[in-house]
Amino acid sequence: MRRLIVAFINLYQKWISPAFPARCKYYPSCSSYAASAISHYGLRGVLMSIWRLMRCNPWSHGGVDYAVQPAKTFKNIEKTSVGVN
Amino acid sequence: MGAILNPLYSFVSGVIVLIHKALTPIFGFDSGVTWALSIVGLVVLIRIILIPLFVKQIKSQRALTALQPHMKAIQNKYKDDRQKQSEEMMKLYKEHKTNPLASCFPIIAQAPIFFALFTVLNGIAAKTDAGVSAPIARGFLKGEYLESAAQATFFGAKISQSFLGSTDTTVKIVTVILIFIMSATTFTTQRQLMVKGMPKMDASNNMMLQQQKIMLYLFPVIFAVSGVNFPVGVLIYWSTTNFWTWGQQFYVIKRNPTPGSPAYEELERKRKEKNKEENRDQSGTVIDPENTEPGQTGDVKGQRKQPKKKKKK
Repeated sequence: MRRLIVAFINLYQKWISPAFPARCKYYPSCSSYAASAISHYGLRGVLMSIWRLMRCNPWSHGGVDYAVQPAKTFKNIEKTSVGVN
Repeated sequence: MGAILNPLYSFVSGVIVLIHKALTPIFGFDSGVTWALSIVGLVVLIRIILIPLFVKQIKSQRALTALQPHMKAIQNKYKDDRQKQSEEMMKLYKEHKTNPLASCFPIIAQAPIFFALFTVLNGIAAKTDAGVSAPIARGFLKGEYLESAAQATFFGAKISQSFLGSTDTTVKIVTVILIFIMSATTFTTQRQLMVKGMPKMDASNNMMLQQQKIMLYLFPVIFAVSGVNFPVGVLIYWSTTNFWTWGQQFYVIKRNPTPGSPAYEELERKRKEKNKEENRDQSGTVIDPENTEPGQTGDVKGQRKQPKKKKKK
């Protein structure tokens, strides 16, 4: 189930999101955040992602906000499982 | 769920019925034009409500000009690490409490309206198991309004019918045309922004253009797959909101472009030319150095401006 959702997010990142200019106020973007949150926390990750989407609104100032703090050694694994952008 | 959805149905149907009331004296109660324009009116209302957000975003984009030196420094410092680069950029925005990015809100905000309209229009087209038309009233769309809406047509196609839900050829033709319009407007809007509205960038922009080509083929497919399930009325909503987005962007690019973009340079050039014209008017004589002959003035100023003329013509 987790993998299926993450696969959908990756599909979005690869085929839909590039057609539009960058719009997310945070780094990593909401979709990357959701992918890593869901693959690490499952259902709790889904709630985290919804909360993140709600925080990404015209009145917020954005910023850097990881779902899972990237450990230096895990950086590469993180990148391949989650995808950039 | 009903507690959330019912107010939405009431809002959407209420707006439509109100506009319908206002337009009835002009186009007639049962006219398809009245119903179509009521949906268009709903779009206009929603988009007007969203304008302040758009203005806010444009303003914070302009505020970035002041941060330009910082941004350049970050780009140079983390040339090889795009991740770190974006991370630092976001930190910078946060520090200065200005974020040029739009967030998904303007899109997500429209989704409930879109969904409510979908349900309200589908209710009109509802049938019993035996296939007898049995419209379901939702919100303020009831009684004579419901009956009239059920018969209303847009270029001959009932606004409550969808491509898949109807055997009527007219419905199929109209939905296909509307889906085409949706694809075309989305593409044109994105292209306009890429070509004119954004500061020139390096290699990453080339990648974007490449992606655009994919979008040219993929997006019509996505719209087609979802669009065949939508009633004509929803497609009218979608097309109109696309036109609005395009127009809004066109206005900003023309009148208030992002510093550094091709449109910005063009506007600057036009302003300079206009200033020149004004100079001429005030003095009554031509003081534009471009038009003075070098032999006549002979001073350094006249000579220095001379190459400019050659370059231009």
